[in-house]
Amino acid sequence: MPLSTQSQADDEQYVLVASLDNARNLSNILKAITFKDHAIFNATPNGLKVTVEDSKCLQANAFIQAEIFQEFTIKEDSVGFQVNLTVLLDCLNIFGGSTAPGVSTALRMCYKGYGHPLTLFLEEGGVVTVCKINTQEPEEPVDFDFCSTNVTNKVILQSESLKEAFSELDMTSEVLQITMSPSQPYFRLSTFGNSGNAHYDYPKDSDMMELFRCTKTQTNRYKMSLLKPSTKALALSCKVSVRTDSRGFLSLQYLVRNDDGQICFVEYFCCPDEDVEEE
Amino acid sequence: MGRGLALRSVNSARSAYACFLFSPLFFQHYSLDSVSEQDSETIRCQLLIKSILPLFRCLTSIERNVERCQISISSPNGRVMVQFFCRHGITKTHNLCFLESEALQAAFASHLCPNVLKAPARLLGDIVMHFPVSQEEITLSMSPLRVSLRNYNEGGNDHVRIMYTEMSLHPDEFDYFQIGVESDVTFCLKELRGLLSFAESHCLPVSVHFGAAGKPVSFSVEDMVLEAIVVLATLIDSESKGLSQPAEALAVTPSRCAEAAVLPVGECNRSQTQDVPAVMEMIASSQGSPMIHTPALMLLLPQADGLSAADEACATTSPASSTICSLLFRAVSSQQADGGCAARLPVLACCSDGEEED
Repeated sequence: MPLSTQSQADDEQYVLVASLDNARNLSNILKAITFKDHAIFNATPNGLKVTVEDSKCLQANAFIQAEIFQEFTIKEDSVGFQVNLTVLLDCLNIFGGSTAPGVSTALRMCYKGYGHPLTLFLEEGGVVTVCKINTQEPEEPVDFDFCSTNVTNKVILQSESLKEAFSELDMTSEVLQITMSPSQPYFRLSTFGNSGNAHYDYPKDSDMMELFRCTKTQTNRYKMSLLKPSTKALALSCKVSVRTDSRGFLSLQYLVRNDDGQICFVEYFCCPDEDVEEE
Repeated sequence: MGRGLALRSVNSARSAYACFLFSPLFFQHYSLDSVSEQDSETIRCQLLIKSILPLFRCLTSIERNVERCQISISSPNGRVMVQFFCRHGITKTHNLCFLESEALQAAFASHLCPNVLKAPARLLGDIVMHFPVSQEEITLSMSPLRVSLRNYNEGGNDHVRIMYTEMSLHPDEFDYFQIGVESDVTFCLKELRGLLSFAESHCLPVSVHFGAAGKPVSFSVEDMVLEAIVVLATLIDSESKGLSQPAEALAVTPSRCAEAAVLPVGECNRSQTQDVPAVMEMIASSQGSPMIHTPALMLLLPQADGLSAADEACATTSPASSTICSLLFRAVSSQQADGGCAARLPVLACCSDGEEED
């Protein structure tokens, strides 16, 4: 393959080299968090983490472990940069994103370090394209300080059931209210729109409920506009975990299987809307 | 209501009205709390279609997932609650606010209509399928020897460039055929399509009641547990003058049918009728059945009364079609019929050798 005939000398300069036989394994996941133009990339020996934030209230992270890549070489403990995510996705799909079986775009992503562009070598059917995307100073992602010890309520649901609910959500509602409780209604999504309100109830013994661990009754509201992008991640996922902590912060974790059946994770953190009384 | 659940709607131009009445037997469970409304246990409420339609939008997902649907109306709260009990124990509850309640009924006595047709479920659907989806209005014509449906186009100037479609049916094609007065009625097709596909999917025959042009036409279906009716206004004979008229007659309203006889739809307290003796509630169950008619209406040949109706009817045919019809008429018969059709509806395909003229 043309990509592997690159001279060894070039490789010495790169602080990060990541290769994939199928670029879709990266682009599909990135699409699930593309609600803003810019993304913060952070690579460690464990793999790649891509972060997108919105107004300090919403944060989405995509994790692609090192094992997913055919080659993952990193020379430092942590390599970080910021790029325009829309441009990156356009490059990854530069061959038109064909869905013909057996045809895939191979990717070699290389980064020389601070001040250098992110270089992508893309190949399909013998044609090679080189893209160089300017990088920026990586911003520090907001630390939501969401740790497992503070988690008050947690459920894991099969995505199938939530996908329908999210597609039907009343968009005239400004907020999505999530109620989690050890007693009725267990897990409830509510909207308050122009024509009235709607509630989606998932009982704790439902087949769709893989894990139900709620310690106390909590009702929190989140801005619908912030959570709307998460439906893309939901659409790709097969399972989702919903957790809230004592402050009402929401963590949504999506388990996504890529084309080759490997597992990646996408995570959304969201701040609650101002304190409201339960409806 | 004690008689069931009625869903009614009317378009903004008040030229189309629909009512679906589901008897209590349609439901697994139907209960009316008698301590509610003041007048005879009827609860009336009005919902925005755009609030309730989205709940039932995705039929395939409803069929797949919903095990039971429960609709409750709570007058004191002004709420309608629609609950879907789905697979896997999931429950979806929608609480919709209703607007101020008002009664909505069209005053239309179908059993007084001179013309009645009853068509098997697929017949009308099969005919209507031949008209382009963009076709707004069609004309239904009835004479003793045939029933025809053709598209209607206003604005005679371009008539040479429009494709005309006409379908004729022999009375035998219908389950029931009764002609009281020969007429052509022109109405909006779009508003009818929903009922026709409903009828087809439930394999129910469709009954059509109408009279002279300008009077409403109704299409209805019924079975053991439900009745549905759509009443449409028809065009009045406003363009008897010819090509220059149409622009004014069918003026600037968004729906041309608005220029038609506006359906007397209103509060059930006010009796807003035209020449119907009393306000009739259209869904007066099967007692006001279309099948009952007085012998005087059983006219199979146009008579003196039929004459004026036919005149009126002739005038409503668009200038273009009457031109085409009269041309053919001339071709078939040696008589010189004038543009006014000589008090006879232009009959295209019959054995008119000019004998039965009056």
